[in-house]
Amino acid sequence: MDGYSSRRRFLKETLFGVIALAAAKIIPLDSAHAEIASEIQQQLKFFSPLEFLIMKKTAERIAGTSSDGNAGTDDVNVALRADAFLAGADPEIQEQFHQLLTVFNGALFAFLFDFRFTSFVDMSPADQDSYLKSWMTSTLSFRRTAFQALKRISLSLFYTDSRSWNEIHYDGMFLPWERGK
Amino acid sequence: MIIQSKDITKPVRESADVCIIGSGCGGGASAKVLAEAGKKVIVIEEGGYFISGDFDMTEQTAYQNLYRQRAGQATDDLAVTVLQGKCVGGSSTVNWTTSLRTPDFVLKQWSKVFDIRGLSSKDLEPYFDRIEKYLNVHIEPEENHNPNNRIILDGARKLGYTAQASGRNTRDCKKAGACGLGCPFDAKLSVNVTYIPDAVKAGAIVFANFRADEIDVSGPLKRVFGSVVDQSTQRVKTDFIIEASVIIVAASAIHSPALLLRSNLANSSGEVGNHLTFHLTSAVLGVYDRVIYPAGGIPQSALCSEFLNKNNDGGGFWIEAVPVYPTLASLAIPGFGNAHKELMRQYTNIGASIVLVKEIDSEGTITLNAYGRPSISYEFRGRDLEYLKQGLKLAAEIHFAAGAKRVMTLHSQKTEFISPGEIDGALASAEWGTNEIALYSAHPLGTCRMAEHPLRSVVNSHCETHDVKGLFVIDGSVTPTSLGVNPQMTILAIAEKSAEWIAENRLKKL
Repeated sequence: MDGYSSRRRFLKETLFGVIALAAAKIIPLDSAHAEIASEIQQQLKFFSPLEFLIMKKTAERIAGTSSDGNAGTDDVNVALRADAFLAGADPEIQEQFHQLLTVFNGALFAFLFDFRFTSFVDMSPADQDSYLKSWMTSTLSFRRTAFQALKRISLSLFYTDSRSWNEIHYDGMFLPWERGK
Repeated sequence: MIIQSKDITKPVRESADVCIIGSGCGGGASAKVLAEAGKKVIVIEEGGYFISGDFDMTEQTAYQNLYRQRAGQATDDLAVTVLQGKCVGGSSTVNWTTSLRTPDFVLKQWSKVFDIRGLSSKDLEPYFDRIEKYLNVHIEPEENHNPNNRIILDGARKLGYTAQASGRNTRDCKKAGACGLGCPFDAKLSVNVTYIPDAVKAGAIVFANFRADEIDVSGPLKRVFGSVVDQSTQRVKTDFIIEASVIIVAASAIHSPALLLRSNLANSSGEVGNHLTFHLTSAVLGVYDRVIYPAGGIPQSALCSEFLNKNNDGGGFWIEAVPVYPTLASLAIPGFGNAHKELMRQYTNIGASIVLVKEIDSEGTITLNAYGRPSISYEFRGRDLEYLKQGLKLAAEIHFAAGAKRVMTLHSQKTEFISPGEIDGALASAEWGTNEIALYSAHPLGTCRMAEHPLRSVVNSHCETHDVKGLFVIDGSVTPTSLGVNPQMTILAIAEKSAEWIAENRLKKL
């Protein structure tokens, strides 16, 4: 296996990471986005409106499309719960997550690695899936690490909500044939 | 008496014969032995105090209340998820009950290589006997193994390998499957329902939500400085200082070295935080035509340990079942999006087995980050990687023998087999770099290692630090090598023995 890199250094361990971070600072981090309802924006404790949108769209793509009648990521408020979760996280995790979202969404970074000229939130769903896959399978370990962080938070907040269980036929503890014994 | 942060309204100043930092296997067993020996014992526990009525058998509640970083603790590169309990009872409150004695070949290595005394199989036998009786360690009858455990028993045996039931510390188990989420029936005889209540009965005081920040040994009495933390907000409410003649650090292989490093103590050897081992773990998932329901029934009751130390090199692997709750399943299943969702829809038909590697070439370190918290790094290499590959291959073969229609590893790039013949090729072409395969640990060990030579270790054979008389480390961080078995029995035995020594040699006149 290749060597480890610290979570705090994951964006900085490559030249591209340094460039991306520098470029990201040039792009406004917190453009008020019309897609976020004002009542949601008022509840946010950690995310900026743009970061909330990034988290929302990331979680949608990572969790996949729920079949008819089953709860999706919006139904269980994954992005809002991520906001509450990260608001209580250790400061080093908070700092890294802000950086992660900035770089992940940044149009310059998307161009550098995937020759896309749009930020993640403005891509089509198919392009978003392709972009996520490029992070998941990247030869750069810091991109794979970033993908894992996004996958963890998206899926843990989705599947800890009981509304997500119907689609996977999970109905609690005990073996089904032993309940009531 | 058990006191929680919600009961505290002002700074706490207390004194005791012994202050024990951590209430898991190491801290809980030490507390019981010393309290029953008539010593005044204070236990401080960073996590909260929960009873069976607080456990609702959901991941949401369990991860929030009972686990380090809500079950999100990981190495700095996120390559290894490190599952640990953070609550009264420590990791024993959330483990899967497997109770196994330390293998003899491990204890012999400790004696030969590290000159450790008094911890041979013969020395520990009376402790294991007593602990197994106290915790009702027993083997489940055949009819109690759930389908997920039956995969190992039936599949391995069909292939001609040895697989057997493993000891469990339960009484009147209801077979819910909730061991990893806190047992709501008090059937799992973890430290929070055994050692801690018995220590309290003998006069020990337990403070929950008390986080130890630093230890000072400069005065006539040793002092622990720390913060009282609100359970729900995790914000600091006030502070505490505990004075004691003896301090036992039992905060786990992640947090014990961090506390010693913050305190600048016990590190003349430079070994505090070094030699972290994990029993690095990955898994295979099998998809079946029948319902397995991997979260239900007894989570872990069988294992295949035929390949442990098979080459007499001290390494190898073993295979156990794993309870796959929905969130754990979602994080383990490779990929994302609609393909991932498609597999999740087959959740009830998925069986899962973990492969745990007893490391011989790999290790990591605990250092402090800029906030004084542990920074975990780990490098997996050499023979251990080969053992992981062999273990995954065997686990896949076991699943096929048990009837799986397809089997996959936890590689990000889907690595799936439709027949045993495909396994070698698929594993050969798989990637093994950082975050290319999901890795876990529930057994961090080794970071305050034990040995008699002070230049090679942090503590001696009695778990006393070489540098500071009366300062002990008693938890999984003292094991000088990884164990090759689930560690709770080893830690309990070492703790009971060391606590007896402390009572006799460091607290006799008190």
